[in-house]
Amino acid sequence: MPLDHRRLRGPEESQPPALWAATAAEDEEDEEGAGAAPRDPCALRPLFARAGLLSQAQGSAYVELGSGTKVLCAAWGPREAAEPGPGRLLCEFRRAPFAGRGARGRPGAAAEREAEREAAAALREALEPAVRLGRYPRARLAVSALLLQDGGSALAAAVSAAALALADAGVEMYDLAVGCALCRPPAPAASWMLQPAEPEERRAAARLTLALLPALNQVSAVLGGGRGGPPEDWAQALRLGLDGCHRQYPVLRQSLLRAAQRRDAAAAA
Amino acid sequence: MASVVLSEAEKLYIVHGVQEDLRVDGRGCEDYRCAEVETDVVSNTSGSARVKLGETDILVGIKAEMGTPKLEKPDEGYLEFFVDCSSNSPELEGRGGEELGTDIANTLYRVFSCENSVDLKSLCINPKEHCWVLYVDVLLLECGGNIFDAISIAVKAALFNTRIPKVRVLEDEEGTKEIELSDDPYDCIRVNVDEVPCIVTLSKIGYRHVVDATLQEEACSLASLLISVTSKGAITSMKKVGKGSLDPESIFEMMETGQRVGKSLHIALQKILDEEENLGTSRPKVGFLG
Repeated sequence: MPLDHRRLRGPEESQPPALWAATAAEDEEDEEGAGAAPRDPCALRPLFARAGLLSQAQGSAYVELGSGTKVLCAAWGPREAAEPGPGRLLCEFRRAPFAGRGARGRPGAAAEREAEREAAAALREALEPAVRLGRYPRARLAVSALLLQDGGSALAAAVSAAALALADAGVEMYDLAVGCALCRPPAPAASWMLQPAEPEERRAAARLTLALLPALNQVSAVLGGGRGGPPEDWAQALRLGLDGCHRQYPVLRQSLLRAAQRRDAAAAA
Repeated sequence: MASVVLSEAEKLYIVHGVQEDLRVDGRGCEDYRCAEVETDVVSNTSGSARVKLGETDILVGIKAEMGTPKLEKPDEGYLEFFVDCSSNSPELEGRGGEELGTDIANTLYRVFSCENSVDLKSLCINPKEHCWVLYVDVLLLECGGNIFDAISIAVKAALFNTRIPKVRVLEDEEGTKEIELSDDPYDCIRVNVDEVPCIVTLSKIGYRHVVDATLQEEACSLASLLISVTSKGAITSMKKVGKGSLDPESIFEMMETGQRVGKSLHIALQKILDEEENLGTSRPKVGFLG
């Protein structure tokens, strides 16, 4: 997003007033959270996926999760690259300036660009095993993900959207990569929850994002951190996440089929 | 990462050997190479350490400086990581080295993101106003495979070696705060490293996984799992690297192996650090001449 030079920038170090009123607001939030019925940890939020919606890109996809995360992804098929060797996948991950719940961060801030670069690297990790790069020597495949609203599990939604966009662009793939996020609340004996919403993710003691190729049952990315436990805890979280990915797979496949049917109908008309 | 070109026959040799639990240099799949750890090598820092793991050479320097605490955590200090790999091979100069450096720094941030790995509350001087910031600078002197493990060992050793001077905050009648350093140069606070995790990299080669892969073994492995383990065996972070995919069963096995190997690594490292500490000032310093 280009910087808007006409706006008054304001001081470099600006703190949102909500931070100073933090203690009162958080007490209210905690009461609400404890009062509400605890979420079923294995419940998947509703997922909406649609492929083939951008006319300018060769492939595109839009994924929306029930918690409010909206990701738009576009993919471009093989373009000739100058470097010899096998094909390369270039991923880009951008957050819209209005995506976060808190104060609007400056769009060009270094910390944000770092976070975007890290997310792009994670996206590439997740997609590389799925794409048949050996079929595109000396070529570059580009994928660009734009996070419109962050409602939790943003990276997982981006992985699913990017895989859908690549498939929509006609790139040869072994399988669709499906992303799923989990988190574990700070309470001592709490269990892992699938697809956390943004407040749950913020307060979480441990987070895990994984990407799976369901038809091959191969894990293409694991990224997790936080207060740990013995490996059995993380193994249980992985199993829960894999189950979540398998359950989301049919929705993504349906959206691809529908996009192909729409394209055929438009070509025939 | 610095890469090595291997022929197909060499790759096959390594893969077949690993299936039989026999690696090129005679180690088993879960053995580390011979490691040398030395602390207090750089005198201008608050703490430093140098680790030589086979061919990999890492130098870590920690400087403790006063800063303002972060807004969300007003009563804690924090750590800042910076990794520099430019002195390595020619392909890591410039952009390549920068990318690898930020990648390693982000991994270190994630590994240390767990709240109780370092006692950050002990780094606070005045809530909301002053705190100690530990700037951890990592220099990759030579890359011989398995840099993440070596870096995490070096960071733990350097944190163990860090001495932060004790300060007192005196308040005037007008309310201006003055920071007073104690007169005794040996009067300092130490960082508690009991919960500091170490990274264990497990590379998948063929059907088995190996710990502490050399450059040649890294070239044969398609996927690796980076696990950070504390001394008590708790896993604090996980990341998969590489172009290949992993079977879920392999991931479970790798986590078990990582926990086992991590615990023994912590025991060995703590023993060496305690021995070095007990030698005190009479320790013969080897530095870069050994």
